Amino acid sequence: MSDLEHQSAALWAEDVEKFYGDGTHALRGFSLHIPAGGFFGLLGPNGSGKSTLIGMISGLVRAPAGCISVFGCDVVAQAPHARLQVGVAPQDVHLDRFLTTREVLEYHGRYFGLARLEASRRADELLEAFDLTAKANTKPNRLSGGMRRRLLIARALVHRPRLLILDEPTAGVDLKLRRELWAYLRTLHQEHDTTVLLTTHYLEEAEELCERVGFIRGGQLIAQGAISELVERYGGDDLEDAYTEAMR
Amino acid sequence: MAVAAPTARELRTVQRRAMWALAGREMRRVLSLWTQTLLPPVLTGVIFLAVFGGVLGDRLQVADIDYLRFILPGLLVMTVVAQAFANNSTSLFQAKNEGYVEDVLSSPMQPWQLLVGYMSGGLLRAWLAAFVLWLLAWPFAGGIEHPAVTVAALGLCGLIFAALGVITGMWADTFDQHSFIANVLITPLAMVAGVFYSVDRLPQPWETLTYFDPIFYLVDATRYGYTGLQDTPTWAALTVAALVAAGVFALAVTLLRRGWRLKA
Repeated sequence: MSDLEHQSAALWAEDVEKFYGDGTHALRGFSLHIPAGGFFGLLGPNGSGKSTLIGMISGLVRAPAGCISVFGCDVVAQAPHARLQVGVAPQDVHLDRFLTTREVLEYHGRYFGLARLEASRRADELLEAFDLTAKANTKPNRLSGGMRRRLLIARALVHRPRLLILDEPTAGVDLKLRRELWAYLRTLHQEHDTTVLLTTHYLEEAEELCERVGFIRGGQLIAQGAISELVERYGGDDLEDAYTEAMR
Repeated sequence: MAVAAPTARELRTVQRRAMWALAGREMRRVLSLWTQTLLPPVLTGVIFLAVFGGVLGDRLQVADIDYLRFILPGLLVMTVVAQAFANNSTSLFQAKNEGYVEDVLSSPMQPWQLLVGYMSGGLLRAWLAAFVLWLLAWPFAGGIEHPAVTVAALGLCGLIFAALGVITGMWADTFDQHSFIANVLITPLAMVAGVFYSVDRLPQPWETLTYFDPIFYLVDATRYGYTGLQDTPTWAALTVAALVAAGVFALAVTLLRRGWRLKA
């Protein structure tokens, strides 16, 4: 990959290694390049390294060996620049219980540099977009599971990141809401040119949304490509067949 | 529309706003939970003053001044120490334990800005509680001899224990660990720091050992500021306090930069 492609790539991870203190080798020479504007699905079993990768990109997992950059900004050497480009909706729901739904969005916006008034306007915009306006003054622990999921995605979007990372965003969400979230993500991706990295265990979700998909197993990217390419490579009728075959 | 990477100047603005937002969140927490954060230390201080200064005060005399006036500076230090420490260790411990610390850890703030943001709540709680306690005691304890020294000593006191609170919040994985430092280290050190007596009344080796207690210097400097009495030269006490504050602040920044016990 040329230097220009590296600079313009939304995510550029090269030979990333990560050992945890307990000896777990979470990522082994992991490399992944996602071009700007792409919608990429990263699929793999639990413990395959997806959340470790996301933690590294967002600064929640300590500096790895290898290199990760977001839109040309190294996530270690230029951490503040890189973090401003990234919005993460994590797998686990951790919301500040001292704040209301609106305040969760406002404070997150301000943590990412929005002025107070701008953060407030943006919070209202997202509350409406995610159908949470009626719950604006409710504490997160009083929201339903689906509402909390929506709030997490809304929170990831407050500072208008160029790379949106969704770590199993629809886990535990009913089918209706899942489809609504899909529609919103499609719009976001197409109309606002946001690059999306999605991890999910729902293969139909990846088929529905992703332009390209990668399979991760044991901390290594074992395959990537358009869904049709993967199906052709591994055989079967659909992504599920290809995934099952690849993970054998 | 997604935003482009900011210039260095824009980034500084972003980081400054983020730090003030975190500071605002921490201070708001203190004010909204005032029955847990502000009322108890003021009540405790008033009870100490009433019992030792009022009920027993006539029978106790140190250095020819009213006993209530003698103990008030030490009680102000104890209040600042306990509240700055408790607030920050609790707030960060809760944020870590419940996972929402990730919200600020993934933000573009510098480690020192994270520290200042988290310290703000503890400093507000400590200084506000001490100020209210002083206001209530003022009619009985009299005025301040050297206000600048008093403010400097209580200021440094707050900075030291607010930063120590943040470090403890990072370190503690359980509520027991979190309480351990307060109960086994901070409270005993505060109680033997000469709040209720003059250090020159202690037999050896206790008198010498007291000089190894950093809180003693804070009490002594504050007492000098309030009453003009001192056991050690004030410049030495404030210098020791300033050095300890700088050391603890630097340690906390280093630990935050490494993500000690916060990042996997």
